[in-house]
Amino acid sequence: MPVVERRSVLSGISVEEAMRKQVVQLPKSASIDNCINRMIKYKVNAVLISDEEQHPVGVVSKTDIMGAFYAGFPTETALENIMVGPPLFCYPDDELETSLDTMRQSGIHRLYVLGAESNAVAGVLAYPDIVGLLYRYCRACDRGLLKTRRKKDEDKFERYKVKDVMTASVSYRRDNENLAQVIEGLSAHHFGAVLIKNSHGDPVGVVSKTDLIVAYKHGVSVDEGVEPVMKAPVQSCEAEAYLATALQQMLLKDVQRLFVHSSEPRQIVGVLSLSDAARFRSGSCRACVSSRLVVGS
Amino acid sequence: MIAQDIMQTNFHTLRPGNTIAEAVKLFQVASESEEKKIFGLMVADEEDHLVGMLSMYDILIFIQPKHTHIWGEIEDIDPTGLFDESLERVKSILVSDIMTTEVITIQPDTHLMVIADIMIKKHIRRLPVTEGKEVVGIVYVSDVFYQLLNKFLV
Repeated sequence: MPVVERRSVLSGISVEEAMRKQVVQLPKSASIDNCINRMIKYKVNAVLISDEEQHPVGVVSKTDIMGAFYAGFPTETALENIMVGPPLFCYPDDELETSLDTMRQSGIHRLYVLGAESNAVAGVLAYPDIVGLLYRYCRACDRGLLKTRRKKDEDKFERYKVKDVMTASVSYRRDNENLAQVIEGLSAHHFGAVLIKNSHGDPVGVVSKTDLIVAYKHGVSVDEGVEPVMKAPVQSCEAEAYLATALQQMLLKDVQRLFVHSSEPRQIVGVLSLSDAARFRSGSCRACVSSRLVVGS
Repeated sequence: MIAQDIMQTNFHTLRPGNTIAEAVKLFQVASESEEKKIFGLMVADEEDHLVGMLSMYDILIFIQPKHTHIWGEIEDIDPTGLFDESLERVKSILVSDIMTTEVITIQPDTHLMVIADIMIKKHIRRLPVTEGKEVVGIVYVSDVFYQLLNKFLV
């Protein structure tokens, strides 16, 4: 009996093509303060931690740092106290799809890539980086959004919209709450940022894990209010917008997520993250998925 | 020949609490008053204790959007103005958030050849000179270069 294998735009690509070669690494004796410095400077969500012999032994993510902030650890605390280990690895010649499955099954956002010959870390594979790859393939595709835009009459491909991919539930906190409450909200929903609304229910800003760890480094207490830490205005897009347009907006503005509003901009109905797009594993149009359906036997 | 013979004692320092905008301005001020292009500045606290270094390169790494490699392919979008927005977003970031904290320093009595050796092996173009914890000067690769060349030319 033939088996229909559903293929995505990323099928047949190896980890090596998708990985980022720059790996931000720190010894386990380094401080949380030092780790936040690296995260901000290199814009990474996690740092690989190594022992005295330079062997990778753990990972510290922004979530772990946020936990330390909540728990009241001083920023001089050594990373070995908060790291999570051991790190999970894949190899440069692994199939990208398989590695993405591993990530989804383990509930993690990145895999470190071990060199095939030596045991040195050769790179890192992270969800947001996959989106760049998707974007690149869609640009090159002759059915891509931008190409068909030029010849609108021949437009017969149904394209993905933001509402197809977004997470439709949005949690929010009030602008009169303190940082501890925001952290509780973020931990409960496993999300990178939380929407802040005022007493009238209008969205007024966003607090991300990055904002929180910067505040932690600057000596702000978790009992302080959310307002000085939050970023305003809310970066958003419309639910009816094309996914490709939203991806472009995120990549250019260097943000990891967009809040999604209905036709009324004040009404936030969902959130779209770079990771959502990567988990979805398709480019901008349905044509792409169907053209890659493969029948095996 | 030792560090104190060739070090510059007219130098500028940043404070860890300066914003990135203030740091950029101080790069300009320092370049003008020291009459040479300044690519890196020392970061010292209120007691003039060295706490880090910040180079133009550090600031560039930080300002650069993460997915720049795709930009070349986005030819229908004008990125001008997008930087303005990113500058707006980084307002809360301070010098201490992105400075390099692992800094190699030398003492006033460090020998010229040792200084040259450190610069070559570690790819460093400027070395702070400290006495105890206090910064007393800075040696640039150009100081080392001309000092050594003069010696060899005589």
